[in-house]
Amino acid sequence: MADVVFDQASRVYTAGAKPAVDRLDLEIADGEFVVLVGPSGSGKSTALRMLAGLEEIDGGEIRIGGRTMVGVPSRDRDIAMVFQNYALYPNKTVGENMAFPLKMRGVEKSVQQEKVRAAADVLGLTDFLDRKPKALSGGQRQRVAMGRAIVREPQVFLMDEPLSNLDAKMRVSTRTEIAAMQRRLGVTTVYVTHDQVEAMTMGDRVALLADGRLQQFATPADLYDKPANRFVAGFIGSPAMNLFTLPVSAEGVHIGSSELRLPREVRGRISADTVTLGIRPEQWAVANGRGTAGGGADGVGGDGAGSGVKAQIDVVEELGSDAYLYAHLDDEEQTPVVVRTGGRTGARRGDQVVLTPTSEDLHLFDAESGERL
Amino acid sequence: MTATVERPAEIVPREPVNKGREGWVRRAPLLPALVFTIIVTQLPFLFTIWYSLQSWNLVRPGSQQFVGLDNYVNVFTDSQFRGVALNTVVLTVGAVLIAMVLGLAFALLLDRQFRGRGVVRTLLITPFLITPVAAALLWKTVLFSPTYGLINFVLSPFGAGQTDWISAFPLTSVMVALVWQWTPFMMLLTLAGLQSQPHDVLEAARVDGAGSFAIFREITLPHLRRFIELGIVLGAIYLVNTFDAIYMMTQGGPGTASANLPFYIYQRAFLGFDIGQSAAMGVVVVVATIIVSTFALRLIFRSFQEES
Repeated sequence: MADVVFDQASRVYTAGAKPAVDRLDLEIADGEFVVLVGPSGSGKSTALRMLAGLEEIDGGEIRIGGRTMVGVPSRDRDIAMVFQNYALYPNKTVGENMAFPLKMRGVEKSVQQEKVRAAADVLGLTDFLDRKPKALSGGQRQRVAMGRAIVREPQVFLMDEPLSNLDAKMRVSTRTEIAAMQRRLGVTTVYVTHDQVEAMTMGDRVALLADGRLQQFATPADLYDKPANRFVAGFIGSPAMNLFTLPVSAEGVHIGSSELRLPREVRGRISADTVTLGIRPEQWAVANGRGTAGGGADGVGGDGAGSGVKAQIDVVEELGSDAYLYAHLDDEEQTPVVVRTGGRTGARRGDQVVLTPTSEDLHLFDAESGERL
Repeated sequence: MTATVERPAEIVPREPVNKGREGWVRRAPLLPALVFTIIVTQLPFLFTIWYSLQSWNLVRPGSQQFVGLDNYVNVFTDSQFRGVALNTVVLTVGAVLIAMVLGLAFALLLDRQFRGRGVVRTLLITPFLITPVAAALLWKTVLFSPTYGLINFVLSPFGAGQTDWISAFPLTSVMVALVWQWTPFMMLLTLAGLQSQPHDVLEAARVDGAGSFAIFREITLPHLRRFIELGIVLGAIYLVNTFDAIYMMTQGGPGTASANLPFYIYQRAFLGFDIGQSAAMGVVVVVATIIVSTFALRLIFRSFQEES
C-alpha cells in the first residue's frame, strides 16, 4: 500500500513540441481509487504509463510511497497494470499467465499455485486455468488480466481503459466488480478511461485532463456540481451542459430575444460585459409556448414567461423514464439547446416552448478564460 | 391459456444447386497446369525409376540391360554413398542451425532503434542477394585462398601463416560460405516475427517484473517458434540441394570429403556416365526427402494451426 504523487510531472515526446503531459500535479492517498479521464490525446494514458515506467518522466517527478520513480525501471516499482487489450501472454495458459509476475519474483512454485488458485476462485476462472487465452471470451480474458494484477499484491494498480473492449452489458457489471474488488483489497488504484460514466461511478476522485493539463481533480459530485472551467462543464454530464456566451444586461443576461434575469448575488460575480452561462439539461422547466399548459408535470407556467426563453423543438428522444428535447433558441444563430424532462411529455418536433431555468445554481464562466466565476 | 410449443421440423443444410457442374467449372481452368506439372515432374520420375532398374553406362554403347534391383543393392552397399549421405546431413543441419542462430541474433539487434538502421539492414541482407556461384568464388579466392586470402592476412599477426583452409577443412569451408549466404534469410524471417509481436505484451512483461533475458526466454522465443520452424524447414529444403557452392569451392574433394548427395549423383551421372547407378541414387534420395519433409512440414503446419 502506498500513496502516489505526481509532482509537476511532464512528458515531452520531441524536444520543443507541446508536452503530452504538462506539469501534472496529483496527490493520491493510500487506498484511493482515482480515475484519469479526458478526451483522446489528453495525456491521460501517457500519465499512467509514466507512473508504470513505460514512459520517461521528462520533468518533475512521480513518487510512490514517498520514493521517487525517476529512473526506476517498471519491474522495481511494485505495480501491476491491466492493459486495454489485456496483453495476455498468448503461449501461456491462464494459470501460467497469472503466475508469471510471481515467477519473475522468484516466488516458490507451491505458493504461486496457491495464490493463482485463490485469485481464480474469486474471479470465477478455476475451470479455465489450463486454457490458452485464445480459447477465452473477451470478458474472461479481462478477468485473467485482472487476476494477473491481483496475485501480485502490488502497491498500486494501474488500469488503462480495461473495459473498453467489452460489450455494453458486460462493461456495466465488470465496472461494479472492479470497484468492489478495489474497495475490498484497499490497493491504491489509478484508472484511465475516456468514458465519463466509468469516471463518475468508480472513482473516489476524478482527475480530468485536456491537452496534457489537469483541468480539475475532485470528487465526482464536485466535478458535476462545481465544474472548475468551461471544459469540465462541457465534458462531464450527458447530454452535455448547455453553454451560452451572452451579453450582460442590467437584470441578467440577454438570451435569444428575451432577457434571463439572474439573482443579484449571481450577477455580482460578473465583471465583463459578456459571460458564459452554463445550464444543465435538467435545470430547465418547459412550458408550452402558446400559453396553454403542455409540459405535463414538468411544465412550469406561473413563473412568468418574461424570464423564460423561447425555443423550438427539433428532435425528441424518449428514453422511457426521461426524454431529451433537442431544440434551438429563437435568436439569429438558432443556438441549440438540450432539455431533459420526465418521460411522456407529449412534446413533439416543431413545438414552440418556453424554457425557464429552475435552479438558482447556474454555472457562470468567464467568457475569455473559461474559468468558473 | 396453455399452448404446447411444437418443435419445428429439424433444419438440414440445403444442398447447393448444381454442385457437380459448378465443381468442374471451377476445376477445369486448373487442368492445363495439372497436365503440365505431371509432364515435367512425374514423367521424368517414372523414367528415372525405369533407368534405375537397368545397367547402363554411356561409355559402353549397347551395354543397356535390365538388372532388376541390382543398382539399389549397390547403392546401399556403397560406403562412399553412405559417407556422402552423412556429409549431406552434416552440411544441411549445420548450415541451417548456425544460420538460424546468427540470423536470430542479428534480427534482435535490428529490432531496436538506432541511427543508420536502414543501411545496416541492407548490408546484412546483401549476402542473400549475391548469386551463389559468385558467393562461392568470393569465399574460395578472396577469403580462403592460402596465398592472398583475407583470412590468412588478418590472422597472420597471430602466426596463422599459410593454412589452405579449403584443403584442410573442405566441408567446413563450404558450410561457412552457406551460413554466410543463408543468415540474412533467417534474419529476415525472425525479424518479421519480432516486429509482429504485440507491444503491450512486452510492456506487460516488463511491468510484471521480467528482465530483458526473461522476456526473451518467456515471451519472445515462444512467439518466434513458428517463424524459426519455418526458417529451418525452408532453409533445409534449399540447402539439402546445395550444388553450386560445392562445385565452385571443392569439387566435392578431396575424394568425396565435401561431396553431398546432389553433387555425388552429378559425378556418377555426368563424369562416370553410369546412368543406372545414379538413377537409383536419385530415387533413394527422393524417397528419403519425401519422408523427412513430410514430418517437417507436418511440424510447421501444426504450430501454425496452434497459433491461429
